[in-house]
Amino acid sequence: MSTPTPADEVREALGELLPRLRRFARVITRNVPDADDLVQIAVEKALARAAQWRPGSRLDSWMFGIMKNAWIDEVRARRRRERVHAPEEAGAQVGDASAESRDIALSVQAAMARLPEEQRMAIALVLVEGLSYKDAAETLSVPIGTLTSRLARGREALQRLLGDDRSAR
Amino acid sequence: MKFSDEMLMAYADGELDLVARAEIEAAMARDPKIAEAVERHRALAARLQSAYGGVLEEPVPERLASLVAGPGAAPVVELDSIRAVREARAKLASSRLPQWAAMAASVAIGLFVGLLLMRGPALPYEETATGLVARGELDAALTQQLAGSLGTGRARVGITFRDRGGAYCRTFYLGREAPLAGLACRSGDQWKLEVLAATSAREGELQPAAAMPMAVLHAVDAAIEGEPLDAAGESAARDAGWWKTPHMAE
Repeated sequence: MSTPTPADEVREALGELLPRLRRFARVITRNVPDADDLVQIAVEKALARAAQWRPGSRLDSWMFGIMKNAWIDEVRARRRRERVHAPEEAGAQVGDASAESRDIALSVQAAMARLPEEQRMAIALVLVEGLSYKDAAETLSVPIGTLTSRLARGREALQRLLGDDRSAR
Repeated sequence: MKFSDEMLMAYADGELDLVARAEIEAAMARDPKIAEAVERHRALAARLQSAYGGVLEEPVPERLASLVAGPGAAPVVELDSIRAVREARAKLASSRLPQWAAMAASVAIGLFVGLLLMRGPALPYEETATGLVARGELDAALTQQLAGSLGTGRARVGITFRDRGGAYCRTFYLGREAPLAGLACRSGDQWKLEVLAATSAREGELQPAAAMPMAVLHAVDAAIEGEPLDAAGESAARDAGWWKTPHMAE
Protein backbone atom coordinates (compact mmCIF):
# COMPACT_ATOMS: atom_id res chain seq x y z
CA MET A 1 0.00 0.00 0.00
CA SER A 2 1.01 3.61 0.02
CA THR A 3 3.28 5.24 2.53
CA PRO A 4 1.68 8.00 4.56
CA THR A 5 2.94 11.53 4.20
CA PRO A 6 4.74 13.21 7.10
CA ALA A 7 1.62 15.25 7.84
CA ASP A 8 -0.50 12.11 8.04
CA GLU A 9 2.11 10.45 10.19
CA VAL A 10 2.24 13.38 12.56
CA ARG A 11 -1.53 13.55 12.71
CA GLU A 12 -1.89 9.88 13.44
CA ALA A 13 0.90 9.76 15.97
CA LEU A 14 -0.51 12.82 17.70
CA GLY A 15 -3.79 11.00 18.15
CA GLU A 16 -1.99 8.32 20.11
CA LEU A 17 0.04 10.86 22.02
CA LEU A 18 -2.92 12.94 23.18
CA PRO A 19 -3.26 11.30 26.60
CA ARG A 20 0.42 11.93 27.32
CA LEU A 21 0.24 15.48 26.01
CA ARG A 22 -2.66 16.09 28.35
CA ARG A 23 -0.72 14.65 31.23
CA PHE A 24 2.33 16.79 30.54
CA ALA A 25 0.09 19.84 30.17
CA ARG A 26 -1.57 19.01 33.47
CA VAL A 27 1.78 18.92 35.21
CA ILE A 28 3.01 22.21 33.84
CA THR A 29 -0.22 24.24 33.87
CA ARG A 30 -1.48 22.77 37.15
CA ASN A 31 -5.14 22.86 36.19
CA VAL A 32 -7.46 21.08 33.80
CA PRO A 33 -8.88 23.83 31.57
CA ASP A 34 -5.49 25.47 30.98
CA ALA A 35 -3.98 22.08 30.30
CA ASP A 36 -6.43 21.21 27.55
CA ASP A 37 -6.14 24.69 26.05
CA LEU A 38 -2.41 24.23 25.94
CA VAL A 39 -2.74 20.84 24.24
CA GLN A 40 -5.04 22.35 21.64
CA ILE A 41 -2.68 25.23 20.92
CA ALA A 42 0.31 22.90 20.67
CA VAL A 43 -1.47 20.42 18.38
CA GLU A 44 -2.56 23.22 16.06
CA LYS A 45 0.97 24.53 15.93
CA ALA A 46 2.40 21.08 15.32
CA LEU A 47 0.01 20.35 12.45
CA ALA A 48 0.83 23.68 10.86
CA ARG A 49 4.54 22.91 11.00
CA ALA A 50 4.45 19.16 10.46
CA ALA A 51 7.16 19.63 7.85
CA GLN A 52 9.61 20.67 10.54
CA TRP A 53 9.35 17.39 12.33
CA ARG A 54 12.17 15.05 11.29
CA PRO A 55 10.71 11.60 10.67
CA GLY A 56 12.44 9.11 12.90
CA SER A 57 13.01 11.63 15.66
CA ARG A 58 10.91 11.56 18.78
CA LEU A 59 7.54 13.14 18.25
CA ASP A 60 6.84 13.31 21.97
CA SER A 61 9.92 15.43 22.77
CA TRP A 62 9.12 17.66 19.83
CA MET A 63 5.58 18.16 21.09
CA PHE A 64 6.72 18.78 24.66
CA GLY A 65 9.06 21.46 23.35
CA ILE A 66 6.22 23.15 21.47
CA MET A 67 4.07 22.95 24.58
CA LYS A 68 6.79 24.36 26.78
CA ASN A 69 7.25 27.37 24.51
CA ALA A 70 3.53 27.91 24.14
CA TRP A 71 3.11 27.79 27.90
CA ILE A 72 5.93 30.23 28.54
CA ASP A 73 4.31 32.63 26.06
CA GLU A 74 0.98 32.16 27.77
CA VAL A 75 2.37 32.75 31.25
CA ARG A 76 4.14 35.88 30.07
CA ALA A 77 0.94 37.13 28.52
CA ARG A 78 -0.90 36.48 31.76
CA ARG A 79 1.68 38.26 33.82
CA ARG A 80 1.32 41.20 31.52
CA ARG A 81 -2.39 41.15 32.13
CA GLU A 82 -1.67 40.73 35.86
CA ARG A 83 -4.00 37.84 36.08
CA VAL A 84 -1.84 35.16 37.57
CA HIS A 85 -4.07 32.97 39.63
CA ALA A 86 -3.18 30.59 42.36
CA PRO A 87 -3.07 26.89 41.49
CA GLU A 88 -5.87 25.96 43.86
CA GLU A 89 -7.53 23.81 41.22
CA ALA A 90 -4.50 21.58 41.00
CA GLY A 91 -5.37 17.96 40.69
CA ALA A 92 -9.12 18.46 40.89
CA GLN A 93 -9.53 15.45 38.61
CA VAL A 94 -7.50 12.36 39.10
CA GLY A 95 -9.35 9.78 37.12
CA ASP A 96 -10.71 6.65 38.74
CA ALA A 97 -8.51 6.48 41.77
CA SER A 98 -9.53 5.18 45.15
CA ALA A 99 -9.96 7.77 47.89
CA GLU A 100 -6.63 6.88 49.40
CA SER A 101 -4.62 7.10 46.23
CA ARG A 102 -6.44 10.32 45.38
CA ASP A 103 -5.17 11.82 48.62
CA ILE A 104 -1.67 10.86 47.71
CA ALA A 105 -2.15 12.19 44.22
CA LEU A 106 -3.41 15.50 45.52
CA SER A 107 -0.52 15.95 47.82
CA VAL A 108 1.99 15.10 45.12
CA GLN A 109 0.29 17.46 42.69
CA ALA A 110 0.04 20.18 45.30
CA ALA A 111 3.73 19.80 46.03
CA MET A 112 4.54 19.90 42.32
CA ALA A 113 2.47 23.04 41.97
CA ARG A 114 4.79 24.82 44.37
CA LEU A 115 7.93 24.13 42.42
CA PRO A 116 9.41 26.78 40.18
CA GLU A 117 8.35 26.23 36.60
CA GLU A 118 11.82 25.18 35.42
CA GLN A 119 12.05 22.42 37.98
CA ARG A 120 8.49 21.32 37.38
CA MET A 121 9.16 20.96 33.66
CA ALA A 122 12.34 18.98 34.23
CA ILE A 123 10.53 16.62 36.58
CA ALA A 124 7.54 16.32 34.27
CA LEU A 125 9.74 15.30 31.36
CA VAL A 126 12.04 12.87 33.14
CA LEU A 127 10.04 11.41 36.00
CA VAL A 128 6.51 11.58 34.62
CA GLU A 129 7.07 11.24 30.88
CA GLY A 130 10.15 9.07 31.14
CA LEU A 131 12.43 11.01 28.79
CA SER A 132 16.16 10.52 29.05
CA TYR A 133 18.19 13.41 30.45
CA LYS A 134 19.49 14.08 26.97
CA ASP A 135 16.05 14.22 25.35
CA ALA A 136 14.68 16.30 28.19
CA ALA A 137 17.57 18.77 27.95
CA GLU A 138 17.01 19.09 24.21
CA THR A 139 13.30 19.57 24.69
CA LEU A 140 13.92 22.40 27.14
CA SER A 141 16.83 23.77 25.06
CA VAL A 142 19.22 23.72 28.00
CA PRO A 143 22.57 21.99 28.55
CA ILE A 144 22.33 18.61 30.19
CA GLY A 145 24.06 19.92 33.34
CA THR A 146 21.33 22.52 33.74
CA LEU A 147 18.70 19.85 33.33
CA THR A 148 20.24 17.58 35.97
CA SER A 149 20.62 20.38 38.46
CA ARG A 150 16.99 21.47 37.98
CA LEU A 151 15.97 17.88 38.38
CA ALA A 152 18.01 17.45 41.55
CA ARG A 153 16.75 20.66 43.12
CA GLY A 154 13.17 19.88 42.18
CA ARG A 155 13.40 16.43 43.68
CA GLU A 156 14.90 17.75 46.85
CA ALA A 157 12.11 20.28 47.21
CA LEU A 158 9.46 17.65 46.51
CA GLN A 159 10.88 15.28 49.05
CA ARG A 160 10.89 18.07 51.58
CA LEU A 161 7.31 19.06 50.76
CA LEU A 162 6.02 15.51 50.81
CA GLY A 163 7.98 14.41 53.83
CA ASP A 164 10.29 11.43 53.64
CA ASP A 165 8.14 9.44 56.04
CA ARG A 166 5.39 9.24 53.41
CA SER A 167 7.44 7.52 50.79
CA ALA A 168 5.13 5.26 48.83
CA ARG A 169 5.83 1.60 48.19
CA MET B 1 33.80 5.96 47.74
CA LYS B 2 31.41 8.87 48.13
CA PHE B 3 28.72 9.57 45.59
CA SER B 4 26.93 12.85 45.05
CA ASP B 5 23.17 12.89 45.34
CA GLU B 6 22.99 13.84 41.66
CA MET B 7 24.92 10.72 40.83
CA LEU B 8 22.55 8.57 42.86
CA MET B 9 19.64 10.29 41.18
CA ALA B 10 21.09 9.55 37.77
CA TYR B 11 21.52 5.94 38.83
CA ALA B 12 17.90 5.70 39.96
CA ASP B 13 16.82 7.19 36.63
CA GLY B 14 18.86 4.66 34.65
CA GLU B 15 21.19 7.29 33.22
CA LEU B 16 24.56 5.85 34.20
CA ASP B 17 26.85 3.68 32.15
CA LEU B 18 27.75 0.14 33.08
CA VAL B 19 30.89 0.98 35.05
CA ALA B 20 29.31 3.70 37.17
CA ARG B 21 26.31 1.47 37.73
CA ALA B 22 28.48 -1.32 39.04
CA GLU B 23 30.32 1.05 41.37
CA ILE B 24 27.09 2.34 42.83
CA GLU B 25 25.61 -1.10 43.21
CA ALA B 26 28.71 -2.20 45.09
CA ALA B 27 28.43 0.88 47.31
CA MET B 28 24.73 0.20 47.90
CA ALA B 29 25.57 -3.30 49.07
CA ARG B 30 28.15 -1.92 51.50
CA ASP B 31 26.31 1.13 52.75
CA PRO B 32 22.59 0.97 53.55
CA LYS B 33 22.44 4.78 53.55
CA ILE B 34 23.35 4.86 49.89
CA ALA B 35 20.79 2.17 49.16
CA GLU B 36 18.21 4.21 51.02
CA ALA B 37 18.99 7.36 49.10
CA VAL B 38 18.58 5.52 45.81
CA GLU B 39 15.34 4.01 47.02
CA ARG B 40 14.05 7.46 47.95
CA HIS B 41 14.69 8.69 44.40
CA ARG B 42 12.91 5.70 42.97
CA ALA B 43 9.98 6.02 45.33
CA LEU B 44 9.51 9.65 44.38
CA ALA B 45 9.48 8.76 40.70
CA ALA B 46 6.90 6.04 41.37
CA ARG B 47 4.74 8.47 43.31
CA LEU B 48 4.83 11.01 40.54
CA GLN B 49 3.94 8.32 38.04
CA SER B 50 0.92 7.23 40.01
CA ALA B 51 -0.15 10.77 40.83
CA TYR B 52 -0.38 11.71 37.17
CA GLY B 53 -1.16 8.30 35.74
CA GLY B 54 -4.90 8.94 36.07
CA VAL B 55 -4.78 11.53 33.32
CA LEU B 56 -3.90 8.81 30.81
CA GLU B 57 -7.11 6.98 31.64
CA GLU B 58 -9.36 9.99 31.18
CA PRO B 59 -11.32 10.18 27.96
CA VAL B 60 -9.75 12.71 25.61
CA PRO B 61 -12.11 15.67 25.13
CA GLU B 62 -13.78 15.80 21.74
CA ARG B 63 -12.32 19.18 20.86
CA LEU B 64 -8.82 17.70 21.11
CA ALA B 65 -9.60 14.40 19.43
CA SER B 66 -11.18 16.17 16.46
CA LEU B 67 -7.97 18.12 15.86
CA VAL B 68 -6.12 14.99 14.88
CA ALA B 69 -8.97 13.11 13.25
CA GLY B 70 -8.04 11.76 9.84
CA PRO B 71 -9.01 12.98 6.38
CA GLY B 72 -12.66 13.82 6.08
CA ALA B 73 -12.73 15.63 9.37
CA ALA B 74 -13.23 19.36 9.33
CA PRO B 75 -9.89 21.02 8.72
CA VAL B 76 -8.50 23.47 11.18
CA VAL B 77 -9.22 26.83 9.69
CA GLU B 78 -7.57 29.94 10.92
CA LEU B 79 -8.60 33.48 10.20
CA ASP B 80 -5.46 34.20 8.23
CA SER B 81 -6.23 31.42 5.82
CA ILE B 82 -9.76 32.62 5.26
CA ARG B 83 -8.45 36.04 4.42
CA ALA B 84 -5.85 34.59 2.08
CA VAL B 85 -8.51 32.57 0.29
CA ARG B 86 -10.60 35.66 -0.16
CA GLU B 87 -7.64 37.52 -1.62
CA ALA B 88 -6.72 34.65 -3.89
CA ARG B 89 -10.29 34.53 -5.17
CA ALA B 90 -10.41 38.25 -5.81
CA LYS B 91 -7.13 38.02 -7.65
CA LEU B 92 -8.39 35.20 -9.81
CA ALA B 93 -11.59 37.00 -10.63
CA SER B 94 -9.72 40.06 -11.81
CA SER B 95 -7.00 38.19 -13.70
CA ARG B 96 -7.06 37.27 -17.33
CA LEU B 97 -7.25 33.58 -16.64
CA PRO B 98 -9.59 31.66 -18.87
CA GLN B 99 -12.88 30.64 -17.41
CA TRP B 100 -11.89 27.04 -16.83
CA ALA B 101 -9.09 28.11 -14.59
CA ALA B 102 -11.30 30.35 -12.56
CA MET B 103 -13.83 27.56 -12.23
CA ALA B 104 -11.35 24.93 -11.29
CA ALA B 105 -9.66 27.41 -9.06
CA SER B 106 -12.81 28.18 -7.18
CA VAL B 107 -12.82 24.53 -6.26
CA ALA B 108 -9.14 23.92 -5.83
CA ILE B 109 -7.42 27.15 -5.01
CA GLY B 110 -10.31 28.40 -2.96
CA LEU B 111 -9.96 25.45 -0.69
CA PHE B 112 -6.27 25.13 -0.42
CA VAL B 113 -4.23 28.12 -1.41
CA GLY B 114 -5.26 30.03 1.66
CA LEU B 115 -3.67 27.42 3.84
CA LEU B 116 -0.65 27.16 1.62
CA LEU B 117 0.10 30.82 1.41
CA MET B 118 0.67 31.12 5.11
CA ARG B 119 3.28 28.44 5.37
CA GLY B 120 6.37 30.56 5.28
CA PRO B 121 9.31 31.14 3.02
CA ALA B 122 10.35 27.61 2.03
CA LEU B 123 7.51 27.12 -0.41
CA PRO B 124 8.33 26.06 -3.94
CA TYR B 125 6.08 28.79 -5.28
CA GLU B 126 5.52 32.41 -4.66
CA GLU B 127 2.67 34.80 -4.91
CA THR B 128 3.38 37.55 -7.42
CA ALA B 129 1.31 40.35 -8.84
CA THR B 130 0.13 38.04 -11.63
CA GLY B 131 -0.60 35.03 -9.48
CA LEU B 132 1.29 32.06 -8.12
CA VAL B 133 4.61 31.31 -9.78
CA ALA B 134 6.75 28.19 -9.37
CA ARG B 135 9.99 28.63 -7.49
CA GLY B 136 12.84 26.47 -6.31
CA GLU B 137 12.52 22.74 -6.78
CA LEU B 138 9.15 22.99 -8.48
CA ASP B 139 10.45 25.52 -10.98
CA ALA B 140 13.50 23.35 -11.60
CA ALA B 141 11.44 20.20 -12.12
CA LEU B 142 9.01 21.91 -14.48
CA THR B 143 11.86 23.35 -16.49
CA GLN B 144 14.13 20.31 -16.60
CA GLN B 145 12.32 17.12 -15.77
CA LEU B 146 11.00 14.89 -18.53
CA ALA B 147 7.93 12.82 -17.80
CA GLY B 148 8.76 9.36 -16.59
CA SER B 149 12.19 10.33 -15.36
CA LEU B 150 12.72 9.81 -11.69
CA GLY B 151 13.96 13.04 -10.28
CA THR B 152 15.54 13.11 -6.87
CA GLY B 153 13.40 15.94 -5.51
CA ARG B 154 9.84 15.96 -4.32
CA ALA B 155 8.41 17.39 -7.53
CA ARG B 156 7.29 15.09 -10.36
CA VAL B 157 6.10 16.17 -13.75
CA GLY B 158 3.10 14.41 -15.28
CA ILE B 159 1.91 15.28 -18.76
CA THR B 160 2.95 18.14 -20.98
CA PHE B 161 0.76 19.83 -23.58
CA ARG B 162 0.17 23.12 -25.31
CA ASP B 163 -2.81 25.27 -24.50
CA ARG B 164 -4.89 27.18 -27.04
CA GLY B 165 -2.52 30.08 -27.01
CA GLY B 166 0.42 27.77 -27.73
CA ALA B 167 1.95 28.01 -24.27
CA TYR B 168 3.38 24.87 -22.74
CA CYS B 169 1.60 23.51 -19.74
CA ARG B 170 2.66 20.68 -17.47
CA THR B 171 0.90 18.88 -14.68
CA PHE B 172 2.92 18.22 -11.58
CA TYR B 173 2.84 16.47 -8.28
CA LEU B 174 4.58 17.81 -5.23
CA GLY B 175 5.29 15.28 -2.50
CA ARG B 176 5.36 17.41 0.58
CA GLU B 177 3.78 17.11 4.01
CA ALA B 178 0.47 17.87 2.36
CA PRO B 179 0.88 16.50 -1.17
CA LEU B 180 -0.21 18.80 -3.95
CA ALA B 181 -0.93 18.39 -7.59
CA GLY B 182 -1.45 21.10 -10.10
CA LEU B 183 -1.12 22.54 -13.52
CA ALA B 184 1.55 25.05 -14.47
CA CYS B 185 1.74 26.95 -17.73
CA ARG B 186 4.73 28.75 -19.11
CA SER B 187 4.36 32.49 -19.03
CA GLY B 188 7.43 34.41 -20.16
CA ASP B 189 10.30 32.82 -18.31
CA GLN B 190 8.24 31.54 -15.42
CA TRP B 191 5.82 28.75 -14.67
CA LYS B 192 2.50 30.14 -13.60
CA LEU B 193 0.46 27.89 -11.38
CA GLU B 194 -3.00 27.76 -12.86
CA VAL B 195 -4.45 25.17 -10.54
CA LEU B 196 -3.22 23.81 -7.30
CA ALA B 197 -5.07 21.14 -5.39
CA ALA B 198 -4.43 18.90 -2.46
CA THR B 199 -4.18 15.27 -3.40
CA SER B 200 -4.18 12.03 -1.53
CA ALA B 201 -1.85 10.43 -4.07
CA ARG B 202 1.46 9.34 -2.65
CA GLU B 203 4.78 9.37 -4.26
CA GLY B 204 5.39 6.20 -6.17
CA GLU B 205 1.80 5.53 -7.08
CA LEU B 206 1.52 8.49 -9.37
CA GLN B 207 0.23 7.42 -12.75
CA PRO B 208 0.45 10.02 -15.49
CA ALA B 209 -3.11 11.18 -15.03
CA ALA B 210 -4.93 8.80 -12.75
CA ALA B 211 -3.65 10.27 -9.52
CA MET B 212 -4.46 13.83 -10.47
CA PRO B 213 -7.27 15.49 -8.55
CA MET B 214 -10.42 16.21 -10.54
CA ALA B 215 -9.80 19.93 -10.47
CA VAL B 216 -6.50 19.44 -12.26
CA LEU B 217 -7.93 16.99 -14.80
CA HIS B 218 -10.75 19.38 -15.63
CA ALA B 219 -8.28 22.19 -16.05
CA VAL B 220 -6.23 20.06 -18.42
CA ASP B 221 -9.29 19.05 -20.44
CA ALA B 222 -10.36 22.62 -20.76
CA ALA B 223 -6.98 24.00 -21.72
CA ILE B 224 -5.43 21.33 -23.88
CA GLU B 225 -5.18 21.81 -27.61
CA GLY B 226 -4.54 18.54 -29.43
CA GLU B 227 -2.78 15.71 -27.68
CA PRO B 228 -0.23 15.69 -24.88
CA LEU B 229 3.33 15.83 -26.09
CA ASP B 230 5.18 12.59 -26.57
CA ALA B 231 8.66 12.08 -25.18
CA ALA B 232 10.37 13.48 -28.24
CA GLY B 233 8.11 16.53 -28.36
CA GLU B 234 8.64 17.10 -24.69
CA SER B 235 12.39 16.99 -24.84
CA ALA B 236 12.43 19.21 -27.93
CA ALA B 237 10.26 21.76 -26.13
CA ARG B 238 12.54 21.66 -23.14
CA ASP B 239 15.63 22.16 -25.24
CA ALA B 240 13.95 25.10 -26.90
CA GLY B 241 13.41 26.71 -23.50
CA TRP B 242 9.64 26.20 -23.48
CA TRP B 243 9.03 29.15 -25.73
CA LYS B 244 5.54 29.49 -27.07
CA THR B 245 4.92 27.93 -30.45
CA PRO B 246 1.49 29.02 -31.67
CA HIS B 247 -0.54 26.33 -33.41
CA MET B 248 -1.92 28.68 -35.95
CA ALA B 249 0.62 31.26 -36.90
CA GLU B 250 -1.22 34.11 -38.50
